[in-house]
Amino acid sequence: MVADVVAPAPAARPQIRIEGAVKSFGGHVVVDVDELVLGDRPIEGLIGPNGAGKTTLMRMIMHSIPLDRGSVTLRPVDGPEVALSKLPADQMARHGVVKSNQVITDFDKLTILDSLLLASTEHRYEQPYRVFSEELVFERYGSEIARYLDYFGFTDARALALSAGEKKLLDIIRCLLVKPSFLMLDEPTAGLPGELTEKVMATIREIAAAGTAVVIVEHDLNVIWSLCDEVHFMAEGKVVLHGDPQSIREHRTVVEKYLGEGHV
Amino acid sequence: MLDWLDAFLITGLFEVVMIAGLGLLLHLQLGLARIANFGVVGFWGVGMYTFGVLYVKVDWPFGDPWQFLACAAAATLVAGLAGALVGWLISDLDIDGVLVVTLGFATAVQIVATTEADWTGGAFGLGGLGFPYDIGTVKENEFVWLMITGLLVAAILFYVWRVHRSPYGRLLIATGGNEPLARSLGKPTFRTKLWLFVVTSAAMGLLGAMEAVMVRYLDVGHIGISITLAAIVGLVLGGTARVWGAVVGTVLTVGLFDIVIRTYLPLPREWYSQALPVMREVLFGLALILVLLFRPLGLLGDMRRDQLMRKLHGR
Ligand SMILES: Nc1ncnc2c1ncn2[C@@H]1O[C@H](COP(=O)(O)OP(=O)(O)OP(=O)(O)O)[C@@H](O)[C@H]1O
Ligand SMILES: [Mg+2]
Repeated sequence: MVADVVAPAPAARPQIRIEGAVKSFGGHVVVDVDELVLGDRPIEGLIGPNGAGKTTLMRMIMHSIPLDRGSVTLRPVDGPEVALSKLPADQMARHGVVKSNQVITDFDKLTILDSLLLASTEHRYEQPYRVFSEELVFERYGSEIARYLDYFGFTDARALALSAGEKKLLDIIRCLLVKPSFLMLDEPTAGLPGELTEKVMATIREIAAAGTAVVIVEHDLNVIWSLCDEVHFMAEGKVVLHGDPQSIREHRTVVEKYLGEGHV
Repeated sequence: MLDWLDAFLITGLFEVVMIAGLGLLLHLQLGLARIANFGVVGFWGVGMYTFGVLYVKVDWPFGDPWQFLACAAAATLVAGLAGALVGWLISDLDIDGVLVVTLGFATAVQIVATTEADWTGGAFGLGGLGFPYDIGTVKENEFVWLMITGLLVAAILFYVWRVHRSPYGRLLIATGGNEPLARSLGKPTFRTKLWLFVVTSAAMGLLGAMEAVMVRYLDVGHIGISITLAAIVGLVLGGTARVWGAVVGTVLTVGLFDIVIRTYLPLPREWYSQALPVMREVLFGLALILVLLFRPLGLLGDMRRDQLMRKLHGR
């Protein structure tokens, strides 16, 4: 009752609305989301069994795979709505929508520092005629990059990233350097040792507190329960449940399909 | 003057400078952005013929050097436009598609140069070109042109060297290495590749104009695949990913063949028109196979961003 009277706080974070979004591979429907709004709460989780379509859904939002049907719309904090599903993939970041990758992805040949400078650098410094702008770019972004590198314990940023863990972290730091307003993280802590998982979680909390909407896909449910304000449960391409972590955790369907009996 | 200088040597050196220039531009496309352009000679030929036709067929109200400059500028521009067209066509293609389109483009240029005989002289060729200055004997004029072209290629080398040390170079390497990832970070990779193609093709066209002045007589046999092959072999032998790769490789291939073998080996006269070009092609092909087998990254090896970053940003 009280909630109805109190006017809802203005949405200080961008939202993404997915409507009628369908994607199939070889006749097999992988994602079929009728309606889903992401970004209502600072940190939201997207969970579900293997093959539920979580990664595919996020890639559809990023338009790195085209939709068969439906639309994805961004409602920024200020300014008009943006039809993301009509934009080329390289314009997502300009609208603040960024995603880290589940599968390890890196630029071969580029060093750690290169990779991070690339993420930071505004495109106007990357024109063919601006071949003397490296120093400027380093002055501008070097210290922020150094802060992340120190925090995550990189010892030699002038080398290539070697381990899977380094590349995973690098992928996340790159996303952060783009200054996202809507950040999607696809299994950000998978394969990371405990103390780095803690650091990644702390970083997520920090940027969410600063106004970025965060959506995390994660199989490590401890991460989900401790970070998320809201959880979406996905199974067989559909988002079947939403709720706060506590209610999702105890929901029959979730327990049956995902957590297994005897979990609670 | 210049008695010590053999006329063959000037031609040979010019060839080295020219192919090294093309190789350096190809390095930006292939070594950094990983676009395998097999139509180098097409852009070069567009520049060469645009220059030649404009220089000879148009009644210019002013003489050299302005006539040269105007025609060379036009050649650069037209080659740049051709680069835009081809760059746009290949922007979304995989490596096979790029091969077909670029090779097809180079072939089309040669065919147009042959069939549009009213303009280009077709199979007979196009004469009436000359140096935009006259300081004495042909040899002296050629020597000066060699120097000027050398300076131009040195400038290209400097540009390439700077690209490696700039955010632009980083973007090219990222685009070549993992385009979807670069896109997800907000990099407009299509536009980047397109502009790369415009700029490098324009420069190839300018080199074509420089060649036209040096040879002074254009015939369609001049814009065959052997130019592309020489640039590719030079670059791959030296090291596709390295700044100096094209230079080192070209000196070792074109330099060795066109200067040492052609100029200094006592070969029978009748070999020069028929046997030598074939020999050259065979040897270059062989060099390419050997280097791909035993040292696929070229003599200079792979890109060393770690060393470069240490040099640029300390530690
Ligand atoms: N490019 C593709 N081609 C064909 N099938 C695909 C493709 N991408 C995903 N799939 C299929 O779509 C389904 C959903 O995959 P997706 O990666 O989205 O699941 P997920 O929920 O992220 O799973 P996980 O938790 O294992 O990462 C799977 O059955 C997968 O095999
Ligand atoms: Mg997944």
